[in-house]
Order: sequence, then structure tokens, then C-alpha cells
Amino acid sequence: MDLFARNEGERYLCGLIDGPCQTTGLDDLVQDPAHGAIAQFFGVVRNHNEGLSATAVDYDVHPELALKALSELCLDVCADYPVKLVMIHSRGLVRVGEASVVIAASSAHRKDALGAVTDAIDQLKIRVPIWKKEIGLDDEQRWLDGHSLRKD
Amino acid sequence: MTAITVHCLGAFRDLGDHFTVEVDDVSVSCIREAVSRHLVGVNRSDLDAVLKRSVFAEGDELLKDHVTVSGNEVSLLPPVAGG
Repeated sequence: MDLFARNEGERYLCGLIDGPCQTTGLDDLVQDPAHGAIAQFFGVVRNHNEGLSATAVDYDVHPELALKALSELCLDVCADYPVKLVMIHSRGLVRVGEASVVIAASSAHRKDALGAVTDAIDQLKIRVPIWKKEIGLDDEQRWLDGHSLRKD
Repeated sequence: MTAITVHCLGAFRDLGDHFTVEVDDVSVSCIREAVSRHLVGVNRSDLDAVLKRSVFAEGDELLKDHVTVSGNEVSLLPPVAGG
């Protein structure tokens, strides 16, 4: 089941979807007649990692916490930049060449949109409760290490 | 003793969707120690290093080790790796 959150002023939309993310039509979600720039980022599953071949990544997600963390992240980015922002992340199986995360931001001028997208993906990787299980050519599976959320 | 159900995420999925530990008190630090003992019991002490970098959550709240849980279910969140 796909999960989405949107703030009241419609400054941001974030969500979790089952399977790969669509990479088309994202710009439509951040269109604004006052905005002259749209920046997009697609995180795509690659066929290698740390010297090992890969065919897919299986994303595990804590839905409640992930949607809460995505919403808080969107709020923070929208506080730092005058943008409209969309962030969507996959859960479940995503194969090589498919997008696991898509982000788009629009702003009046390009620097804000580009900065917002960069900060959004950087922060997503260290704040949102999502985990990667990489699947190799021989179906070998391994969980990838990440960033600890522990604060004490 | 109180039974706490621990829901597994990420690398802890290798242990199943969840498991149960018995604790003397319901502080997060006590639950963490009980999980560490559980890992020994199921021959997965290799996950102890991951446990040390993991955080517990109740509902949609991340918990520090000094707090106590209000229910009898927690989630065990290893280091995150989205993107």
C-alpha cells in the first residue's frame, strides 16, 4: 500500500510506494507559475556495490517512522529554501536501472531548487528509517550498513 | 518479569519478523541487554555490533536508553541506509 503525506500549504508532498518509483511527471507536482527553476534527482539501483555485482535492492521500511521522518525532513528543507518539494521512496524490490528514490524541487531561482534537492537526498540517507538488502547475481543477499539513529 | 515483543527491521529481519524477550524492568537499556542475550541464544552474536548502533522505537517515537516503554512492543531499528 502506498503512503503519502502532504502539508497544509501544499509546500511539500512525500511518500512511500511499493516497487520502483516513476521518474516521469514529477515536475508537474512542483509546477508553480512563480517558479522559474525545477531540479530533480533520481536515485537508481546500480549493478555493483563495494566490488560486488548486484541485480536488485530490496528496501525494508518502517512505514510510520519513515513517513514521519520524511515529513520532518521536507519541513526542514522547506524552512531552509523557498521551494515546493516532492520526495518519494520505494519499498520492496527495485531492480537495476529502476529508481528507488525521486526528488523534485521548484523555486523562483535555480540555486534554491538545486540546494533543496541536494540537502533532501543527503538528509534522507541519514534520517529516514529505510534499509537496503542487496541481491547479488547468484541471489546472495546482504544487508548494507548505514547511519545510526542512536542519539545516546 | 515482563514480556516485550521486539519487531525486527533491516538486518534483524534475519531473526524473523519479531521475537520476545523477558525483562526485569521496561527501560530501553534493559530491553537492549535482553536482546543482546537473545542474540547469543540464537547464535547471532555477530549482530551485537549492529545492536550497539541500533535504536528502539515505540509507535512512531524513537527511544533513548534511559526511558521506559509504556506498552509491550518495540521496534528495533539498525543503522539506516535509504536512497
